Amino acid sequence: MLVGFIVAACVVWSRDDAAGYQVEHLRWIEAGAVGALPAEMHFGNADGKLGVLNAAGPIEMKGHPFFEPLGLNSRACVTCHQPANAMSVSVETLRERWRVTNGDDPIFAPVDGSNNPKLPQAPESSHSLLLNRGLFRVGLPWPPRDAHGKVIQPEFTIEVARDPTGVNLDDTFGLKGVNPTVSVFRRPRPVANMKYVMSPDGVFNVKTGTLMAVDPETGKPASMNLMSDARHLTLKQQANGAYRDHQEGRQGALPRDELDKIVAFENQVYMAQSHDRWGGSLVEAGGPPGLGSRAMADGNVHALANKDRDPVFRLFDAWKNPATMAKELTEAQREFRASVARGNDVFMFRQFWIRDAAHINSIGLGNPIKRTCSTCHNAQMTGQDLAPGWVDVGTTNYPTWTEPPVFSDKAELPVFKLTCDKSATPHPYLGRVIYTNDPGRALITGKCVDIGSIVMGQFRGLAARAPYFSNGSAKNLRELVDFHDRRFDMKLTEREKVDLINFLSVL
Amino acid sequence: MRKALTVLLFLGAPFLASGTAARRNDRPPADRRNFVACPIVRDTKTSPCWLAEYEGELYFLGLQGSSASEFYPPQLNHEVLVEGAVTNEPRVCGGIPLKPVRISVIAELNRACNTLLPAEDGMEAPAAPARRGAEDMRNPGSDVTQRDFTVPFDFDSDYLTLHTTRIVGEAARVAKAAPAAKIEVQGYRATTWLSDGKKFTEAQTIAEKRAKKVGEILVGLGLPAAAVSVNWKGEPEPCDGVTDPDKRRVTIKIVP
Repeated sequence: MLVGFIVAACVVWSRDDAAGYQVEHLRWIEAGAVGALPAEMHFGNADGKLGVLNAAGPIEMKGHPFFEPLGLNSRACVTCHQPANAMSVSVETLRERWRVTNGDDPIFAPVDGSNNPKLPQAPESSHSLLLNRGLFRVGLPWPPRDAHGKVIQPEFTIEVARDPTGVNLDDTFGLKGVNPTVSVFRRPRPVANMKYVMSPDGVFNVKTGTLMAVDPETGKPASMNLMSDARHLTLKQQANGAYRDHQEGRQGALPRDELDKIVAFENQVYMAQSHDRWGGSLVEAGGPPGLGSRAMADGNVHALANKDRDPVFRLFDAWKNPATMAKELTEAQREFRASVARGNDVFMFRQFWIRDAAHINSIGLGNPIKRTCSTCHNAQMTGQDLAPGWVDVGTTNYPTWTEPPVFSDKAELPVFKLTCDKSATPHPYLGRVIYTNDPGRALITGKCVDIGSIVMGQFRGLAARAPYFSNGSAKNLRELVDFHDRRFDMKLTEREKVDLINFLSVL
Repeated sequence: MRKALTVLLFLGAPFLASGTAARRNDRPPADRRNFVACPIVRDTKTSPCWLAEYEGELYFLGLQGSSASEFYPPQLNHEVLVEGAVTNEPRVCGGIPLKPVRISVIAELNRACNTLLPAEDGMEAPAAPARRGAEDMRNPGSDVTQRDFTVPFDFDSDYLTLHTTRIVGEAARVAKAAPAAKIEVQGYRATTWLSDGKKFTEAQTIAEKRAKKVGEILVGLGLPAAAVSVNWKGEPEPCDGVTDPDKRRVTIKIVP
């Protein structure tokens, strides 16, 4: 019996191997790794498997600047953008790295892999935000500066109301330091499916009523959907910023050839969930056309898809009726697929009142608007916003956040009190005094209307990269769905929630 | 909040003392409904309707649409400035239609503005006007002879909508095609004459903000900065209770 099982497992494994699936050794890629990153990879996760596709073919990691440590702390780009974690990094993986290395992995570098660089670094508690919520420290200059380094006069003052990590009141790293800095804690965003993420919306920015920011190299409009605060417009800017801040690079900027290689790699890597939790492929002949990493590589860019004939994640009609599904599927798989199709309908068509979301309700749509999830998450294939996607949905601001009360001793994240100047246009739904653990876009623009606005991320590979939201406040898809249900009083039934979770898990 | 608004409003005291008359000269024309109130949203089986109440009467403002719609709805949690003309058309969603109507969201929060009415039989919304396609919005015209462009704004706002950015884009296109030796940008602010006789004046700096924003866009669209002159008028335009919304504007003059 046991022998039979082993033989069967080997047969399955060899088939995977032949398809380029034997990638367990790539589940964690160290900086400086050698060998090839295959053209196609599949990594297991709790909901099945994630597919990663190098559209340009296998990538040799040795000597490649995405995989080589470039700065002083032995990290590479891949350290925080792991293929197995949908080109981000999950809390599950981070905890495993802590266990395996006893906290010595470069990903726990004091500079940003710690709650505060000045804390003793050996205790796990000094890295609690990374280990529990997947958050890296992002230190941003205050006041903000424009692209030419000129100081922007902010419309609000910022005070540290709670500082559980001690970094914002620190005399070196804090607001009162020599180089005044605001430290916020954020999740790394997936570096894949970039043709969608980087697709610009047009000449004008509907969020601001001004011209779209432009790529300084090409002079063409940028998408502004790359970073959670849109501070970097291009992949090159992001790479240089990450080199300087996260890898502690000291050269100022990366050499041109290295930047070109990093950008070329990022522009050809696609990812999406590929298998269900029973091992069945989500990519089927005649099945939903929007699933899997190849669909990501082939999809149309910049398609507004909040419509029924070609929805955001394409059609799921093939999975609406378990009786018409492939014969080899089990009953559980059939039921799961039907649930996913219902989840797509909830996402696309279940109306609710979208209310008090700055940069959605405040840009001419009205407050509230009776619409669906796909109103905001309207970009085909990714579920981002086709327009620059910063929105204050309330994940980082009191009172809609899921953090403890403002002055609670249980706070994990810093809390800032922002007070808007009387001459400024106030935040449309929070007014002039706002408590937040991340002012988001406002740390870049200095504008009150931008406080708490975060650029929405893409929906692909979610199963491989929990937790969610920029501040890691949703541990799993259930918490992500529950947040929206509460925030918008959606009154989702339990079945609708499960359907939505199943739907999100296959993207 | 009401106190803050009151600071912005200055009473037309001499007018208020003059009593009532068939055609009072201390008020806008009788068919005008210019007022500040909390907006009301009414759910329907189709598109939600937006309404506002003034002196015990309910007025229909418009339907929920999209960013491409002509009508941008109000916002709960904010008062709205309504500037419209009463029509004889049948009530819509329980309200008398105002046409034309301009609405402006008052920027300061007012959490008392929070009325959402449930859908009711007999309160169906009319069919939404045909949506203007994105391509239609973006396609430039062929006329290059136009020399004067007017960019309207909501009260106390310098936000350019999808429609008004298109006007600026068109002005830039024409200026390039002319070609223009000079592009004159002039910002204005205005006063709204409310139906109760009060006057509601825009912020002192708003004309400047509007003009500078439009000027920056024109330069950003490729017009030489040296050819774009940006000016603004500090004094508010005179009000008449009818054309006041049209006076919140930036004009662009193309001088070949």
